[in-house]
Amino acid sequence: MPGLGNRFCRRGGWQRLAFLLSSGLFCAAALAAPGDSFSIQGFGTLGAVRTTTDQVEFVRDLSQARGATDKWTGKTDSALGLQANWQVNPQWQAVAQVLSRYRFDRTFHPEMAWAFVKFEPSPNLSLRAGRLGTEFFMLADSRWVGYSFLTVRPPGDYFWHLPFYSIHGADASLAVSLGEGVVRGKVFYGQSRGHIPLADEQWDIRRSPMLGGYLEYQLGGLQLRGSYANIRFRNDLPLAPVLAREKNIVLPAAAAEYLKTRDTRTHYYSLGLVYDKGPFQAQLMLNHIDQGTRALSDSNAGYLLLGYRIGKMTPFVGYSRVLSRKYAKPELGDPLSNDVAAYVIEDSHSDQKTIFAGARWDVARNVALKAQWDGIRGDSSSLFPYRKDDRSRWDGRMDVFSLSLDFVF
Amino acid sequence: MRRLLFKIFLVLLASLGPGIALAELVVVVNARNGVAAMTRNEVINVFFGRNRQFFNGVEAMPVDLDDAHPKRAQFYKLLVGKDVSEINAYWSRQVFTGRMQAPPRLASTEEVVKWVAANPGGIGFVELSRADARVRVVYELKR
Repeated sequence: MPGLGNRFCRRGGWQRLAFLLSSGLFCAAALAAPGDSFSIQGFGTLGAVRTTTDQVEFVRDLSQARGATDKWTGKTDSALGLQANWQVNPQWQAVAQVLSRYRFDRTFHPEMAWAFVKFEPSPNLSLRAGRLGTEFFMLADSRWVGYSFLTVRPPGDYFWHLPFYSIHGADASLAVSLGEGVVRGKVFYGQSRGHIPLADEQWDIRRSPMLGGYLEYQLGGLQLRGSYANIRFRNDLPLAPVLAREKNIVLPAAAAEYLKTRDTRTHYYSLGLVYDKGPFQAQLMLNHIDQGTRALSDSNAGYLLLGYRIGKMTPFVGYSRVLSRKYAKPELGDPLSNDVAAYVIEDSHSDQKTIFAGARWDVARNVALKAQWDGIRGDSSSLFPYRKDDRSRWDGRMDVFSLSLDFVF
Repeated sequence: MRRLLFKIFLVLLASLGPGIALAELVVVVNARNGVAAMTRNEVINVFFGRNRQFFNGVEAMPVDLDDAHPKRAQFYKLLVGKDVSEINAYWSRQVFTGRMQAPPRLASTEEVVKWVAANPGGIGFVELSRADARVRVVYELKR
């Protein structure tokens, strides 16, 4: 079967999407029996965004290779997803989702976002295995379903650092009644998928083991969640080729060792509070990232979002902040190693706050229009969240204007 | 004078009365389910898929109405103060993260009663006048 797999992967983007779906439909039609049910559902976003600077490129998160500048672009936020659900019987279900969005390799190549089987031995216990979405932070696994949230995109200062989307693994979640509320716990383990772009190179994070879980309590309109996850990186950052191409520098061995990511473990902690009652909704999220490598800085981030629905319009305002720790200058013996290490470390620094405001307008059934302004006010040393940064000109400040049309079907 | 005031008070009370006391919609379960009453939060937990079991262990199988049905909008307005677009946004998150599917949707409250009567764990919402011996009213939604 490897031959077939390779041929399959070389197919063009849309061809591949059509193939995945038609084969899915065909399989389902062939296997469908009385009593089971099969459905196809989809979601999408047509988005346009521009900023007020050409000094850096603005991305949705670090999984995108290029971003928006002072010219309007549809790449950053546009997405289309299709999902097939097959309920085999009350206990067994199979789900596959294909997603097309701008990604690490500068294309919209559709990929199988998730594909798993779910087994529910009892109504409140769910076991899944296959390719699964990860919930490092609350709401992280629905980041591309624009229709499901209020803002144009999840607040960047909070989600930029989270380019992980899925694992090959398993998860288990259990819900238990507690008074009139519900306590839910979930654990997951698996190997990560994907690549993270770094200049013109890609950091391969495939097969890096991930482990995590959360505990949450929901009562009426209140939801409180604490979560933890970690990942142990299998590969080093592609620093040598990036430095060779961009700076014409050979990465010294001492610097490479100092900046290694291979076999280092990064820990993610987060707390989320959602209050959603009547026309009012509020979200408060905080996270702390403890990096195991010196090449990436530890950081703290958080955001507060407030929205109030008036008829079909929901205006919202928010504030977000991210600050990473400044490391001491490396002392590696030779000056070149020190300079190279310092340069790379500087690139992972973030220190900025964002005020954002906008509105969601539910124009028709299953269709929403959104407009949003983000005022990013940061330090000129805040480089990590961006692409193609021009360090000599970047002053840390920009405004971002976004429009989107979000729909589900 | 006092009697006159009392009479006016009675007339006012009578005119307000039906609006206050009568439930617009009721939540019903299968008559043989064993659940006698539910609180608002318990109803929310079941209809939003947070808890899929009744306290007695029976699997809860909520059923909803078609998107355009006026009673659907009224139900969620009274239960959680939300617009149907917000309810649909909630379900799009659950569906596209692969967590769960939304409850099945029926075209009329008459069908809801039939569905609830046919499923031991069935739970739905109907007009009070529709609730007959096949189902039991466990929660009343008041305006």
